Amino acid sequence: MNTLLRFSILIIPIVGILFFYNLLTEDKFYPGANFKNFNVPNFKLQSLDSASSFKKEDLQNELLLNVWASWCITCRIEHDFLMKLNSEGVRVTGLNYKDESIDAINWLNSYGNPYNFNLHDLKGSLALDMGVTGAPETFLIKDGVVLVHYSGEVNQAIWDSVFIPIIQENKMFK
Amino acid sequence: MIVEISHFFSILSAGLFFLAFIFSTRTYQGNHNLELLVNRIFSYGFYFIFISFLLYVWLAIQSDFSIRYIAEHSNKDLPTFYKISSIWSAHEGSMFLWILFLAGWSQLFNYLLSKNDLLKAPAIGVLAFIIFGFLIFLLFTSNPFETILPIAPINGADINPVLQDPALVIHPPFLYLGYVGFVIAFAYNTAFLIKGDMQINWEDVIRPWSLAAWVLLTIGISLGSWWAYYELGWGGYWFWDPVENVALMPWLAGTALIHSLYVSSKSKVLRGWTILLSISVFSLSLFGAFIVRSGIIDSVHAFANDPQRGLYLLAFSAVLITTSLIFYVYRLPQLISKNLVVAKSKESFLSINNILFAAAIFAVMLGVMYPLIFDYLYDKRISVGPPYYNTIFAPLTFLAAIFLVFSVGSLWQRTSKLLNFKSFLSMSILFAAAASICISYIYQDFQWWFVGALFSGLLILIRYFLLIVDSMIKKSYFNKPSAIAHIGFGVLILATALNASLSYEKIINIKPGEIYKDSDYEFYLIDFDLINEPNYDSVRAKFSVKNIYTPNKTFFMFPEKRKYFIRGQITSESAIKITPYKDIYMTLGDQLDNGYWVVNIQYNYLIRWIWIAAAIMGIGGFAALMERLKRK
Repeated sequence: MNTLLRFSILIIPIVGILFFYNLLTEDKFYPGANFKNFNVPNFKLQSLDSASSFKKEDLQNELLLNVWASWCITCRIEHDFLMKLNSEGVRVTGLNYKDESIDAINWLNSYGNPYNFNLHDLKGSLALDMGVTGAPETFLIKDGVVLVHYSGEVNQAIWDSVFIPIIQENKMFK
Repeated sequence: MIVEISHFFSILSAGLFFLAFIFSTRTYQGNHNLELLVNRIFSYGFYFIFISFLLYVWLAIQSDFSIRYIAEHSNKDLPTFYKISSIWSAHEGSMFLWILFLAGWSQLFNYLLSKNDLLKAPAIGVLAFIIFGFLIFLLFTSNPFETILPIAPINGADINPVLQDPALVIHPPFLYLGYVGFVIAFAYNTAFLIKGDMQINWEDVIRPWSLAAWVLLTIGISLGSWWAYYELGWGGYWFWDPVENVALMPWLAGTALIHSLYVSSKSKVLRGWTILLSISVFSLSLFGAFIVRSGIIDSVHAFANDPQRGLYLLAFSAVLITTSLIFYVYRLPQLISKNLVVAKSKESFLSINNILFAAAIFAVMLGVMYPLIFDYLYDKRISVGPPYYNTIFAPLTFLAAIFLVFSVGSLWQRTSKLLNFKSFLSMSILFAAAASICISYIYQDFQWWFVGALFSGLLILIRYFLLIVDSMIKKSYFNKPSAIAHIGFGVLILATALNASLSYEKIINIKPGEIYKDSDYEFYLIDFDLINEPNYDSVRAKFSVKNIYTPNKTFFMFPEKRKYFIRGQITSESAIKITPYKDIYMTLGDQLDNGYWVVNIQYNYLIRWIWIAAAIMGIGGFAALMERLKRK
């Protein structure tokens, strides 16, 4: 059999490998991250302390919306990093998800509160509309538009590679 | 403390497998003592990873939530059974189990293979390299031993309630055992290609290993299908989900491999093809692991996370697959047999089916890759669904069934007289054609795939029936394991087709006290119960159901909706009434404002027979394995 023809068998895996390499190293590819923009859906939710109610229009222009719950172990791990972001001037708003408000308030009191305020989504209705499948998940929002939706724990590495490029591109949190 | 010991044993094991690999490359000159040393080091590598895993199981049973992985996936209120299975409910732990099985198979092979086997040292070297590579992956990118001291929580996050199910406890282990079992064929054949001694009879060495892996993979896939049917509440048994597809490809390639191996060991033809298949099966298993664990696709099965994982798996699989293929291409001229396959011999029919299996694998691969390529090129999400797969799979399956039947009475290396009017083959074709026309007429369904499936399924069953009767009369030999497995295949074709043709569903609105009458059954909704369990609340409907033709035999059905506290997840627990001919499958939908409830009633015909068929195929494979082991 012709040598060249024989070696052409190798083309299939090599093309496959190169394709996947390109896919994995693409700027916009990051497992768990979704960069498709969409508008924040309309909602009406109580704040966690039930003192006031919030609508879509009450959200700040630039914020990080973090979905969390007191029953979520990963949120506890993520918590330290959110505290750090808060101290660096990033506005983090909490979306407390399928949680009893008393448990959530106790959690914040004992570990510290990284959020400027908290929405209480007991039934998970806003979370459902935003495509949340569990906690923690984080949304980067500018002028009512979601720029990044990240599922899973945000830490320094994820922050630097997923969020920072979009934040710089849109000149946010200045 | 125990977690550090467990972690340490895994690191030690990685070191030993690396040593075994390095030493094995020095055994090329045939240094027997060094070979024995390699085998010894390899065994210790396995013992250490085994101890490490046992300690980890112990930690999971003890609910040690200072370990991040256990805290995130287990809970102290779970029964011990689920505490253990929580280990393989997510990426890190399931990778750990995968590697344990990889090392387990390899060690069994190391233990059972004669130390005079010429390929033992290089094969063990290849295995050691593979295990080492995966242990590095585990320790550096997916470490299950990571602790979260000092913030260890009091209780864990629980496993997803749909995974708290006995079938799901055993489905991943069987699947992994099947996947990684094909590593033996891969490693031994790679060793064969490296050595290049064409006299070596690799077919007989890898046949039992490949059969065993095939049986386990068959069981693993069927368990997953059975679980999805009763737990997910959709009432289907196969969804052509990308992750099901990546499990199906190694199965198809494995099925082709065990048949092709049979041909190669009988008459030394198709050797090049058989080796290519043995490389492909494990490569497809690696592809599956890559797809599931790299976060490339969204699926219920996918473990999304860090891009390093995908890159590492891609690079490591690339090294394994291309190295093995380069040796393959290099040795190919020596592998090609001078004897050609005789037309209309048994080998010829098996070769045709090899091609059909390759086509089926290609079709599934295309279905998995197409959305990825499309998204990459045009930035648009599309999905490839059941119509695509059904259209391609139906004709391939029918053709494969027909050539299978042709091969039954044919001879090795000789042309067989096939369509003699009095032959069993002609009789089978006539009977199957007549019967399928009658059945299509009875059910008034003349769609091509239905008639085709009836014909090919019945053809297999009738041909084997004639074979068995004939052999019993003449007291002659017939290949029993093969007959069992192929009868299972025939039943599978028939059950799938009848299920697709006959099943239907009704969506009804009903409130307590009302009766819904269907053509055969009467459903009386008695009332609803509210149930408070320690970890969930549930609403349970109580239906009294009777068949109109046998009105004194009433039975109850309890479809249920649960809300789990810890994750707030809502699950639907279907009520299933099993009869030999069909399942009545009931799921509770939402409550409407006027007090009515939406209830979905499905009549799933012959669905049990799909899993029974898979079990028969598995039994056939197991019997073949036993027969081979006895002959040794």
